[in-house]
Amino acid sequence: MSREFTADLKKRIEEITARYPSRQAALLPVLHLVQGETGFLSAEEERAVASILGLPPIKVREVVTFYTMFTRKPLGRFHLQVCSNLSCSLAAGERILRHLQAKLGIGVGETTPDGKYTLTEVECLGACEQAPCMMVNFDYHGNLDPEKVERIMEELK
Amino acid sequence: MAKIFLDGKPVEVAEGTTVFKAAQQAGIAIPHFCYHPAFVPEGSCRLCLVEIEGSPKLELSCSTVVREGMKVSTQSPTVREARRGVLEFILAEHPLDCPICDKAGECKLQDYYQDYGLTESVFREFKEKREKKVRIGDKLILDRERCVLCTRCVRFLAEITKTHELGLFERGIHAEIGGYENEPVRNGYSGNLVDLCPVGAITDTDFRFKTRPWFLTKGESICPLCSRGCNIYIDYHPGFPRVPGSAKVYRIRPRTNDAVNGPWICDHGRYGFIDLQQKNRCQTLVWNKGERTAEWSWDKVLITIGERVKALRENGKTNRISLILTTWLTNEELFLIKKIFKDGLGVRNVFFADPAPGPEDGFLLRSERTPNRRGAREMGFDLKAPDLNALVPDTDILFIFGPHFAGISHDGAWKPALEKIPVKILVTSHLNELASTADFVLPAAFLAEKNGTLTNADGRVQKIAAIARACFDIRPESQILLDLAREIRLDDSYFGALSAPEAVHHELVKEIPFFGALP
Repeated sequence: MSREFTADLKKRIEEITARYPSRQAALLPVLHLVQGETGFLSAEEERAVASILGLPPIKVREVVTFYTMFTRKPLGRFHLQVCSNLSCSLAAGERILRHLQAKLGIGVGETTPDGKYTLTEVECLGACEQAPCMMVNFDYHGNLDPEKVERIMEELK
Repeated sequence: MAKIFLDGKPVEVAEGTTVFKAAQQAGIAIPHFCYHPAFVPEGSCRLCLVEIEGSPKLELSCSTVVREGMKVSTQSPTVREARRGVLEFILAEHPLDCPICDKAGECKLQDYYQDYGLTESVFREFKEKREKKVRIGDKLILDRERCVLCTRCVRFLAEITKTHELGLFERGIHAEIGGYENEPVRNGYSGNLVDLCPVGAITDTDFRFKTRPWFLTKGESICPLCSRGCNIYIDYHPGFPRVPGSAKVYRIRPRTNDAVNGPWICDHGRYGFIDLQQKNRCQTLVWNKGERTAEWSWDKVLITIGERVKALRENGKTNRISLILTTWLTNEELFLIKKIFKDGLGVRNVFFADPAPGPEDGFLLRSERTPNRRGAREMGFDLKAPDLNALVPDTDILFIFGPHFAGISHDGAWKPALEKIPVKILVTSHLNELASTADFVLPAAFLAEKNGTLTNADGRVQKIAAIARACFDIRPESQILLDLAREIRLDDSYFGALSAPEAVHHELVKEIPFFGALP
């Protein structure tokens, strides 16, 4: 079941672990690296990373599920992450989420059939000053209302 | 040493002690979910907050180390308010299904709510629905609604068993305990998760919905399933006269003893004990007379056996009595057997038939699957297995203690051999095919049903007590032995004074000081 990484990927993982006092400490950057290569982190990748770093696979799963930057499913081309934490909820963030759900015809955690959009709900994005906010791939969009979301979606096409 | 002030009271504790442990030493209880003495402090439940003078915010007592002159308040209004707040958040997501929860009555969350909460909920939102019966192990069920995410179970599997079956996935309101790809908890210590869980999130399928903790009586005993001698609590319902019927054991829990088992016991002992206590018990006194069997009274059986022994003695043939013993017997019973049969009657044919040894697990479980082999050795017994060729021609009366003789050979070679012996007396707590071969079957007490001591493999002499009797007509072996000694008029002045196992223990220590070391 375990997956073999390419020699090049293994070499890059070793370069990262060399920078840390213990191999286990390199978990986050190694996961980022692997996810960059493979698109998402399935149980195969988790087990492979765990065995390379000398961790039980469950530790890797804990970290992967804790951080919203890691995904265990393939994502669409545009990853829309809408904040549902306190500040955004007070500023009607739920309206943004509902608007996107209706517009894309998918639920939270789902990807459109054409593989273009994935919609997820995330805890605080650390941008409460511009609540309600969301991230599209690595870009922040704040002070949202349905009209602004429409404009952003236009640009994505 | 560092001097600190706990609620104004000066307390001296060792350097490096945490505030929590200092309070514990001073007799002040601080509420907590995630802290457990066997683990590194986690600090995730936020319930052990205390106020420390000069500190701008409340501190976690479980992970804050004392400093000289530190002034700690464990009960100030700020502290109480903070704890009330923490409990309110936990309860906002708690199903409040105490009426159907196994933990009710011994639940930390219930206790702390009584101490700190007692508030109406201000949450008007719907509670999150979570899975209420996730099978996470052979005998373990996880209720994710009741879970307070203290991660004691996760840390037990990471730090103690090092098997890492459970983890804490996701975060925030979605956080939940689970196994990797739903792999179950599979190690020899899984039952401890139920004891560790401070709420009713992890329950035991054997105990689930069977009874209520407040109906149970707690008895202290020693686990008899291996020679480690783990200290246990036996939680049982005492039966008659509270309800009709005999006592029933519902669960076994570890009793902390750092010199033996720490706060844990293994599943082999936890679940094996209840099976042994309840299944295949020998309940009636039987005389097998050829084709027909008769139920007899204790008096008649003891007179009959006594007459047979006396007849041998009159002919000077008591060396034709043989014994097959078990180390399920207590030190006191083995001592009585030594005094009556070896010293009194000159019996030489003494064998031991014990439960078969099993694999050691490197933690608590030992390969000797019986509690008192060390005791028998210290008593001077040679623990040799029964040798049928040596036994049969030299035996007119055979006393068999315990049921394990039937397990010495798989081919059942013992059966035709036994039939050649004129009188077979079986004293046993459990029934097996031996019972139909023996002439007299005397129902004896199992280990939690008699008083006495056991010696574990490390030479520790530990007390067991008569706690829960599974059936009515059974007698402890010590009583059967003393009655027999009286019946055959063996040194009345000596045996007459030994009425209780305590008196036997006293005599035992006088003769073999090794057994005096009661902890």
